Amino acid sequence: MNNFTLDQISEFIYKEAECLDEKSWTQWLDFYIDDCVFWAPAWINESTYTSNPEEELNLLYLKGKQHLVDRIYRIETGDSFASVPMDRTTHLITNIRVNARSNQQISVKSNWLVHSYGMRESQNRGGFYEFQLVSVNDQIKILQKKIILIDDKLVGPIDIFHI
Amino acid sequence: MSPEIFNNLIVNKDSKFLVDRSVYSDQKIFDLEIKNIFESTWNYIAHESQVKNPGDYFSTHIGRQPIFLLKKSDGSINAFLNACSHRGSTLVPFESGNSKAFRCRFHGWTFNSDGKCLVIKNEESGAYLDAEIKNKSSLTPVSRLENYRGFIFASLNSDVSELDDWLCGTKSWIDCLVDQSPKGLEIINGQSTYRLYGNWKLQAENGVDGYHVSTVHKVFANTISNREAKLNLNGLKETEAGRITGQVLSGSYGFGNGHMGIWTERSKPTAHPIWDQKERIENSYSKAQAHWMLHRTRNLYLFPNVFIMDNPSTQIRTMRPISPDMCDVTVRCIAPVGEAKEARSARIRKFEDFYLTSGMATSDDLAALEAVHTGSQAKNAKWNHFARGASETLNGFEGEDYPLGDIPPKMTTKNWDHESIYKGFYDTWQKLISKD
Repeated sequence: MNNFTLDQISEFIYKEAECLDEKSWTQWLDFYIDDCVFWAPAWINESTYTSNPEEELNLLYLKGKQHLVDRIYRIETGDSFASVPMDRTTHLITNIRVNARSNQQISVKSNWLVHSYGMRESQNRGGFYEFQLVSVNDQIKILQKKIILIDDKLVGPIDIFHI
Repeated sequence: MSPEIFNNLIVNKDSKFLVDRSVYSDQKIFDLEIKNIFESTWNYIAHESQVKNPGDYFSTHIGRQPIFLLKKSDGSINAFLNACSHRGSTLVPFESGNSKAFRCRFHGWTFNSDGKCLVIKNEESGAYLDAEIKNKSSLTPVSRLENYRGFIFASLNSDVSELDDWLCGTKSWIDCLVDQSPKGLEIINGQSTYRLYGNWKLQAENGVDGYHVSTVHKVFANTISNREAKLNLNGLKETEAGRITGQVLSGSYGFGNGHMGIWTERSKPTAHPIWDQKERIENSYSKAQAHWMLHRTRNLYLFPNVFIMDNPSTQIRTMRPISPDMCDVTVRCIAPVGEAKEARSARIRKFEDFYLTSGMATSDDLAALEAVHTGSQAKNAKWNHFARGASETLNGFEGEDYPLGDIPPKMTTKNWDHESIYKGFYDTWQKLISKD
């Protein structure tokens, strides 16, 4: 992964978020490898979030692309009470920095804020992303997207595109 | 408000059971609910595993009153109002932690685990008239504190009935959860709180509403069935979609004291994380209890503030009413101590799939309840109808294949989508809020 510049990596992260904001689900799935993890830990107390998904609870722990497909399947049926009408969202991603880099993998951190609007009017949620990225046929792909949501008391349903 | 006004909120005659939707939004009713229900009956506070070690504390609320619970060095548990005896600041700033003594951050008064005041800052120069001020400045304990098999309950009312009597027939359902491990239960790390923009009773009704499942959660069942087909899943990785689409036997109980329960047969008992305990359970408990533990799902509502659920996963869901149109709901996963790694992991994944507001079912419930809250503002459409099951509601255990426990419920229906149990809930509710 040494040949990718921070600009290329940043562009990749912005585009993944763009797919979520535009609800371009098929394109969004293409950002992930089959054995991906989409992970949002839960808070244990005021300062600690969960770190071991096999023994602790998470807001989301979607292991394997099918679990991402599940979320989209549910949204697209039109039968999910929480998803009709669907909230509009915009992802603001900043402070992108490389955390660690090897030939096979790159770890990238960033900060995020998602502004959403819907039944509950304006909501802002924020936190940190930690991506594990890999190269497949010279294309960047997501091995893991870990999302720390700093908000604890949640207002309204939280889906994959709200955070 | 006079009792006659409350009588008009509920119509229970001529085969009708109607509830005035203003019960979800009226401030005067809410204030009476806080005073006469939450601050007068038993409330579930915590599971004992949340204060495991000496010094562990956990802070929460009874109604509007902040309290904290602590484990003493002798293993016993105390609970106090979370308010300094001096000027009222909350003593415990964190939801949980460990401390031998509790020092107020405002003026430095310090208390021990018995609530006794140990230190009044600069007491010597305090020019107090009463030389005994320190001895007279203990923290205020909750009026009653009891533990039923690890589940800790408290009351702010010293005249409340005995906890055993209050829980009545629900104890047999609590036992079905506790007996899943000879080592007891534990709360799993990590929790989630969501704010329901709606009345607490909407959440109370929803957790034992079998009728909404086949509409609101049909999409969950379809999503999971689609996943299972794609990944060819089996065993613990399966989820019981058959329960949601109504292909199994089911029923509901009104236990008395406002407590309600719904159950179904499990469509795939082998998918339940407890299945590897089958032999032990069948050898240790009566045929009826083993059947209830292994083959049936149970959603138990303990009036007024907690659900204990054993469905695809196991959950404690507590409610904290904030205002007539706001309620904070906290969900925690509870599990048998010492269960196998695969079972624990499967239990957590099933929990995340369904029970969180970031999951694929509770999120839909939340949206539905907020839609009801909005609809309830349509004051010209006054009545909620709870009519299902009226002609088939039975007394006690009548007609029940696997009678459980020695205290019969007040009412039984043979379908979890019957609504008769809400009569039991609103009977208790009306009786309590009508008190002076």
